[in-house]
Amino acid sequence: MSRVLVLFAHPDRGSFGGAVLERVLAGLARGRHEVRLRDLYGEGFESRLSVAEKRDHLASPDTKPQLARDFDDLRWAETLVFVHPTWWGAQPAILKGWVDRVWACGVAWELPEGAKRLKPTLSNVRRIATFTTHGSPWRVNALQGVPGRRIANRSLRVICHPLCRTRWVAFYGTDSSTAERRARFLARVERAAARL
Amino acid sequence: MGVVILKALVVVAHPDPESFAHAAARRVERGLEAAGHSVEVIDLGAIDYPGALRPDEWRAYESESPVLDPIVAAHIELVRSAEALVFVYPTWWSSLPAVLKAWFERTLVPGVAFVLDPRTRRVRPALGHVRHLVGVTTYGSPRWYVKLVNDNGRRTIARTLRIATGRGTRVTWLPMYSLDGHDEAARHAFLDRIEETMRGLR
Repeated sequence: MSRVLVLFAHPDRGSFGGAVLERVLAGLARGRHEVRLRDLYGEGFESRLSVAEKRDHLASPDTKPQLARDFDDLRWAETLVFVHPTWWGAQPAILKGWVDRVWACGVAWELPEGAKRLKPTLSNVRRIATFTTHGSPWRVNALQGVPGRRIANRSLRVICHPLCRTRWVAFYGTDSSTAERRARFLARVERAAARL
Repeated sequence: MGVVILKALVVVAHPDPESFAHAAARRVERGLEAAGHSVEVIDLGAIDYPGALRPDEWRAYESESPVLDPIVAAHIELVRSAEALVFVYPTWWSSLPAVLKAWFERTLVPGVAFVLDPRTRRVRPALGHVRHLVGVTTYGSPRWYVKLVNDNGRRTIARTLRIATGRGTRVTWLPMYSLDGHDEAARHAFLDRIEETMRGLR
């Protein structure tokens, strides 16, 4: 049992991406986790870092009340679950913006006086799992250099607990997929989510 | 040898007009103009560009007319005539700022960046007219760290977008690593290098 923060970044809950989310939630329910769901499109999340947030990027999180709920979710989570389509090889802008704004100084990292490198502080996160769909086949994503996977499993992971584990559950070739293959993937999603 | 005039489109993605990225963008512009190239600049922060593909745009994505916003239509016209695409942005979390990613998602739709073959459902590149892809970016981290986490913004431009432009397209990368660790002189040297490289673009 753990505290799971689910970030959903698809504009349509009725889509295949929405079906993936439903099966993720069904799988998590079997594990009796405590789940918080953030539907970034549903709540109209502002993904752009503002001028003030950029200029004050070293200021305490207390000075950014507009992000208080987001900061609280991120500090609370033991497992992060990303559910999103892969566009241009990576996370949708709205999800990238959630990282740009919420993984802030005093929450995800600190810059101690005189230090040259930032110090990771997100040791509460012990697991990152991504469930994603790609329009194009696997080999196209390989040519692209799998940026989305590396953003989650490297760039974000290094800020988390040193033993943080990652999981990547991906569907390729959505544009040319059959109903049968999609159904098989959804079953796999639920099984993987149940095992988290 | 005749003089080659390029049509260049520069996309700048930093919210703060007083940022180092904006200083870099001005030097990009100056260098290109000095070489006689024609330059269009899109400053995403200045035009209050949205930070995500809209739900109605997503629904229209694979339809006959995926473009719903006049700003997007105008940007598509600029992309269609561009021979050089230059992106100026800070690298955050190893990749593009959300607003630049949103510009990719909204502008480079089917029919612009690639065409979807209706029979095979295969994607074919449609940006063959772009001869140069240029990235000008700053990193908070040192180079070894950027390489360790994969430099994903660079991969989005130099690989993912290059699939749509084709093999004949040259990629020029102008990175400044460990931005905060550099003094004024080093920053000026970097800006000079940007202008010089842009002036040499053929």
